[in-house]
Amino acid sequence: MEPQRLELSRLYARFAFGPRPGEFSQSLKDGFSPSAKKLFSQPQGVALDSLTTPNFPDLGARPSQANAAASKAFTAALKAQSDELTLWWLDRMALTENPLLERMTWFWHGHWATSIDKVNFALPMFNQNQTLRANALGNFRTMAHAMFNDGALQIWLDGNDNIKGAPNENLSREFMELFTLGVNNYSEEDVKALARAFTGYQVVRSTGVVTFNSKRHDSDPIRLFGSNVPLNGDTATDLVVSRPENITFISQRLWYRFVSSSSQLDTKFGIEAAFANREISNAVNALLFNGALSVPQHTVVRQPVEWFIAVCRAFSLQPSKLTPKTMVMNYLQKMAQVPFLPPNVGGWPTDEAWLSSASAQFRIAFAAALAKQIDLNSMASVPSEKRIAYIKDLLGIYDFSTRTFTALTNAKDDLQQFFVLAVCSPEFIVSA
Amino acid sequence: MDTISRRKFLQLTGAATVGAGAAMLSISEIAEAAITRPLPLGTPIVVVVTLYGGNDGLNTVVPYTDSMYYSMRPDISYKPETVLQLSDGLGLNPAMREMKSLWDQKKLAIIRGVGYPYPDHSHFSSMAIWQTGSPISHISSGWLGRWLDTQSADPMLAISLGSVPPPLFAGVKRSGSALPLGGLVVPSGKLGMRCQTLGKSSINDSPLMAAAAISMGNLFSLSDNVTGVLKGPAPVAPDLPVINGGNAGGDSSLQQQLDLVAKLIVAGAPTKAWSVSLGGFDTHANEANAQSVLLGNVSYSVARFLNQLKGSGRASDVTVLIYSEFGRRVKANASQGTDHGTSGPVFVIGDRINGGMYGDQPSLNKLIDGDLAVTTDFRDIYSSILERDLKADPAQILNGWKGRVNSLYK
Repeated sequence: MEPQRLELSRLYARFAFGPRPGEFSQSLKDGFSPSAKKLFSQPQGVALDSLTTPNFPDLGARPSQANAAASKAFTAALKAQSDELTLWWLDRMALTENPLLERMTWFWHGHWATSIDKVNFALPMFNQNQTLRANALGNFRTMAHAMFNDGALQIWLDGNDNIKGAPNENLSREFMELFTLGVNNYSEEDVKALARAFTGYQVVRSTGVVTFNSKRHDSDPIRLFGSNVPLNGDTATDLVVSRPENITFISQRLWYRFVSSSSQLDTKFGIEAAFANREISNAVNALLFNGALSVPQHTVVRQPVEWFIAVCRAFSLQPSKLTPKTMVMNYLQKMAQVPFLPPNVGGWPTDEAWLSSASAQFRIAFAAALAKQIDLNSMASVPSEKRIAYIKDLLGIYDFSTRTFTALTNAKDDLQQFFVLAVCSPEFIVSA
Repeated sequence: MDTISRRKFLQLTGAATVGAGAAMLSISEIAEAAITRPLPLGTPIVVVVTLYGGNDGLNTVVPYTDSMYYSMRPDISYKPETVLQLSDGLGLNPAMREMKSLWDQKKLAIIRGVGYPYPDHSHFSSMAIWQTGSPISHISSGWLGRWLDTQSADPMLAISLGSVPPPLFAGVKRSGSALPLGGLVVPSGKLGMRCQTLGKSSINDSPLMAAAAISMGNLFSLSDNVTGVLKGPAPVAPDLPVINGGNAGGDSSLQQQLDLVAKLIVAGAPTKAWSVSLGGFDTHANEANAQSVLLGNVSYSVARFLNQLKGSGRASDVTVLIYSEFGRRVKANASQGTDHGTSGPVFVIGDRINGGMYGDQPSLNKLIDGDLAVTTDFRDIYSSILERDLKADPAQILNGWKGRVNSLYK
């Protein structure tokens, strides 16, 4: 057992989308703490400056079906914007020098899981993504306020239909169950009360601009969590986030994704205590520095997007530059994970759900397609007897089993296959 | 809806493979089972078609003689001369030509006003209720999953198409299996051999790493004598053109799913319950076109599927159930769409079904908060299927539920 290598391997796989060339070897020299601390202070880097931030023009309402040409062009424009948005984010994940920020944004996207499948327009999804990024390591209370006022989330959970006298509980229920408090920590009356507080917010679908219409808002006093005064979205959000259950719930969600989905959050790691003031970066600090990553049983499966980005980072690939243009989207779709398209408001599944034979098949096919576009020269320059150790450090893998070692040894002289086998090995798919 | 079960449902929808241990099958495994232990001819087979998103029942089975229908939906109603007229003043959506033909052959039962008590307008809660079959006490197992619990363990007994198994197949003790669409394509040559090596177990494997290795290994658990069975094209559907230029869009995922199910049924797979699905029915805006494309797809794909079974000796064994989590609001909204509603029609199709109308058509004069009344409890349909097709005791699986759709089966 090499405890430092294990913790560093987990640090990169779970908090940084995988190391870039040289990073893991350097971290082995620097040690865990300095490497982990560095994650919090990294600028995003020049590569991101060169990425053009998408500028999505407001597409307006869908033209009438009577105008077939306009309708077709509109659908094509929606699709083009949606693809551009997805590739832009994948590029950020792959190129950033501040991977913790993108990784946290990715975590929060799965938490406030909103799908472009219903939102349709890229602009509100892009705005939500920027909101998540701005708050990814900030204060959860601020994030909750921003998300309540987020157009994409309002569209996704029918905020528009939530009107005084005819409240729609979709947003209020998920807000407590999935976003802030967790199941069992509120009553059905609370769901109804919160729905009343959330009435009157309207969204422009194509832009996600949220406005408050006092005529549609229920301004009567609302009994919620011991208070009985008139409420609106912001004051009600405050009441909800102030509940002590919010601390445990968010700590559990972080634990579930970054540490282990099969073992329970353990208070001895101090995550709840660190999150008491709702500061997300303090909670992430506690995840990293209080020993949770050194427990051998705490294994995690890389989700398909995390797997793909880790490959990109190790081999300096830029997703939007891969050819054909449709390849990345197609394979991610087959592997059942496309950013901005979570399966439902509960977000993506974890661990075993990604380990089907179907996933294995598509992972191999994707890797084989990537192998043709990767510059394998640096690997070729490594003496063949050192290549296995080289790719182990390049990918930040804790250790290869004998089976994988054998497979890689057999493929040492076919670099494309060597690559495919390494990135499809159980030791890379699972963060040990 | 009770929140404990919502959480459990979430976990089920997300990681159904974790709890009850759903297996991921390869086509070859099913083909092998089809050869070594085929389902005896004459054994009933249930095919569940789930329409995700909430299908608009009023524009599926259209009350074209009711003036209220036209006054409440001026922009998105179907004119009497366009609907495919059935009986009782009801007609099918113009896109459902093949369904009309099944109706004429008395193989299509339309059960009207189906829903569950105290309708909730959330997709999530509604689908949870439909799939668990338990609207009152909230449980995490699916209705067919609980049927699986009463059977001896067999991963082939219930199979869903797609890589994530649906909650309706999640039992307490065991779950249905999943078959990824398109089957599995296994790498060949040296890469194949080397990938196979990655599928071997290793003493140091953590449970997740072992699972990753197994998933790789399963890709290669091919037996040469069975691959041939399923390599051929889907069985032909003699009554339908092979390529459909019209409403089905030719290459829909539902059609692909059902093609595969047809192949496997014809091959003799020891499977009594299949699950396929189609999404996109959440038509809040510009409904007419979107829904008619989807319904045309359903109509064509299901008819094609039934045709493919002809000549296999199993055509009369199959019952198809088509449902969605809720119907839609009666009044159209401002964007030529409809919002989440309550009850809707359910289709049950098969040679052993008495075609016709069942249940009462919810009255447009007696709406409840703008929504259709529920006139048939969905569990009546499940009970009939459990009893007649799966030879199970519905009360045991549906918490004592006694209702049936009377005379649904011949």
